[in-house]
Amino acid sequence: MILTAACIALTGVMAAYVIWFYQNGLTEETERETYDKYYMMITEDNKSSIWQSVYQGASTRALEENAYVDWLGDTIFEGYGVEELMQIATASGVDGIIVTANENEELTELINEAAEEGIPVVTLYGDNTKSARCSFVGVGSYNMGHEYGRQALEIVRERAQEETDEAGSQPAAEEGGNQGSSVKVAVLVNAYAQDLDQNILCAGIQETIEQEREEDMEIEFSLLSVDDTNAFSVEESIRDIFMEQEIPDIMICLNELTTTCVYQAVVDYNKVGEVNILGYYDSETIIRAIDRNVIYATVAIDTRQMGAFCIDALQEYYELGYTSQYFTADIRLINKDNVAEYLERGEDADEAW
Amino acid sequence: MKPGKLSGVSLQVKISSIYILTNLLVMCVNVVLLLGINNISRRLDMVYQDNLHLNELSDMLTTVQDNMTDYLSSKTSDSLENYYRSEQDYRTMMENLNEEITGISFDRMERNIRYMSEDYLEEVGQTIEAKRGRNVEKYRVHYEEATRMYEYIHTYISGLNMERFRNNSEQYSALLQRFRLFEVISLISMALVMASNVCIIISLVGTSIRPLKKLAGSADEVARGNFDIELLPVESQDEVGVVTGAFNQMVVSIGKYIERLRESMEAERELKERELMMETHLKDARLKYLQAQINPHFLFNTLNAGAQLAMMEEADRTYEYVQKVAQFYRYNMKKSEETVTIADEIEMVDYYVYILNVRFAGDIHYEKRIDPTLLSVEMPGMILQPIVENCVNHGIREMGGDGSVCLSVYRTEKGVCISVKDNGIGMSRETIDQIMSGSYREEGRNTGSNGIGMDNVISRMKLFTKNENVMEISSEGAGMGTEVFIYLCDGQERRENV
Repeated sequence: MILTAACIALTGVMAAYVIWFYQNGLTEETERETYDKYYMMITEDNKSSIWQSVYQGASTRALEENAYVDWLGDTIFEGYGVEELMQIATASGVDGIIVTANENEELTELINEAAEEGIPVVTLYGDNTKSARCSFVGVGSYNMGHEYGRQALEIVRERAQEETDEAGSQPAAEEGGNQGSSVKVAVLVNAYAQDLDQNILCAGIQETIEQEREEDMEIEFSLLSVDDTNAFSVEESIRDIFMEQEIPDIMICLNELTTTCVYQAVVDYNKVGEVNILGYYDSETIIRAIDRNVIYATVAIDTRQMGAFCIDALQEYYELGYTSQYFTADIRLINKDNVAEYLERGEDADEAW
Repeated sequence: MKPGKLSGVSLQVKISSIYILTNLLVMCVNVVLLLGINNISRRLDMVYQDNLHLNELSDMLTTVQDNMTDYLSSKTSDSLENYYRSEQDYRTMMENLNEEITGISFDRMERNIRYMSEDYLEEVGQTIEAKRGRNVEKYRVHYEEATRMYEYIHTYISGLNMERFRNNSEQYSALLQRFRLFEVISLISMALVMASNVCIIISLVGTSIRPLKKLAGSADEVARGNFDIELLPVESQDEVGVVTGAFNQMVVSIGKYIERLRESMEAERELKERELMMETHLKDARLKYLQAQINPHFLFNTLNAGAQLAMMEEADRTYEYVQKVAQFYRYNMKKSEETVTIADEIEMVDYYVYILNVRFAGDIHYEKRIDPTLLSVEMPGMILQPIVENCVNHGIREMGGDGSVCLSVYRTEKGVCISVKDNGIGMSRETIDQIMSGSYREEGRNTGSNGIGMDNVISRMKLFTKNENVMEISSEGAGMGTEVFIYLCDGQERRENV
């Protein structure tokens, strides 16, 4: 009797399992959670980790605000320009657009068109001042320039120190590329960028060097154009610089790609120690390069904060009808002294900041 | 099974219920499995459904674009009509696209396609309007705008289609895997259910059949003759219960019947015993009576007195005669109940034959062939005399002076044989058989005899020798004489040797 009961119970349990199996097991669908607002983020390139980080920041904040951000151009519209993506976003009738802008007039027009249709546009990283964008989320280019300048001076100081040390031990010191102890500082700028921020940044660097330099410092400040017209031209341009006779002593890179390319070139041309690099962004490669003493320091932006600011701006716009014109993301300097903690962080996936 | 609840249910219902229960179990499991398979196959069918929808949408979009271009190039009313129709169709299809902002990327893409399509259709509408109004500049601008939108949407749909396809393919392979898993689970389920059913059937049928088994065991016991069995408890009211009740009743009844039979047989036996006893007493009484009549002491003393008188009167033959008669009676009186020797018995026969010869003037020729070594062999008394008496009475009395009796005692292989042979009228086979079986009854038996019949002789011989084969009578036919053999077996001989 007990056996019978057990058998029936067993069969029952099994039947329940089978029912559960195809009721639950087969309906594995994501919850259809709906959101109030739908934003789109458009960036110039969608591979670099900086934008991925920004997107993550934006996405996290958006979900908190019951909104959703899509990164247009990451899959289907790969290879489309910012302008085309702006058109698509506008036509898609989204609630807000986040776009990495420049002072291009076509873009101005598109931003204005979107604004006319009632879609607020937030420019990210680069601004389009003439347009009807509702807000700009940037990095505080002047401050950044200031930081670069200070670091450049630091390097100059260290070099001078080394020279005097060497002069003490070896009276007949001769250096190939550094005759007359004049230090060449070069800022690598994008040649075709109509970017106001870049100019502000350069100005910041120059001003800092001029103001804070010591009397005996001989510094030659220059801008080196990097051709950024197509995907591979940046790397070519940088190689060209290294092929030339005079290689700058300090190279200041203003974006992630340039930093990586210069780093690789310094290694390839065996210029480690001779050329100091001031990089941009805190990608894993860059962090590791700092650890190996190839890159002197890098300026990292709080990319997640940047993404979050974009959403904040849009949400504020919807709540109040207006929003702050400028949002400035924090920057942080990473050098030999504090690189260890970023290395550790790098191992814990993309847990930046 | 609780006897209280199911005791009233018949065996048929019980067994049927078991089969129905197990079949139901199998059916339930089958239905569940079938539903599962159905569900999976339906899902498999549905996997690429949305790809088909997207293809249709894309085709319709192209149709709208083509019709617009056609109208712009030819401006025929047919193309305009076609345009309106396709535009309407496209709009209908568009309506089915998702409109909400959800966490699912496909939904959002559908939403974007929908919005873009609305923009596109508006643009196309304006193009057509401008063309109708022959506003060349305007319709060109709108056409370009619409074409650009068309390309975007097309790209978007293709992208979504591709994404969906990738996703669906994954889903498809996942479903297939699940299907395989489901197959395995189904097999296990069926096996389990089968095992369960076997257990259920064995256990429930066992429970239902148990009283029947007990009944069979008891019946077997009864068949072997043991009525002293414990009565079976009636557990249920089904057929088995009824049969068990009847069986109990039957066992009780048979027991009672046997008891009654035994009692009546006992009574009958007692009755027979009493009858036998009465017969014995009757015989005893008759004997006593005879004995009382004879009073041998008196007769013996009288005869002795007669003998003395004859001696005094010097009548020697009379004296001898009376003396021998007296000896005969003394022997009769003394030895009739004792064990005697053959010599005693022969002496007795001698007296008897002498008396008869005196009585009947020497009619009987008496001959003896005796092995003298056997004279001391013991035998019951009063055996030979009655045999000789029978010979004389039935065999040779009527023959006058020709009758002869021959008495022989000799040793055989088995023991000692005493033979009494006459040359009288002989005996028929039937008579011999009757005498030997003790059923021969002589008419007027009490006349002229000392009262001891052959049956008495035979039975006393049997008792003495403890042997059935004690006597044999042979006669070769009427007028050929009769010979009676008496066998004394080894026991008597041994006694002699001792």
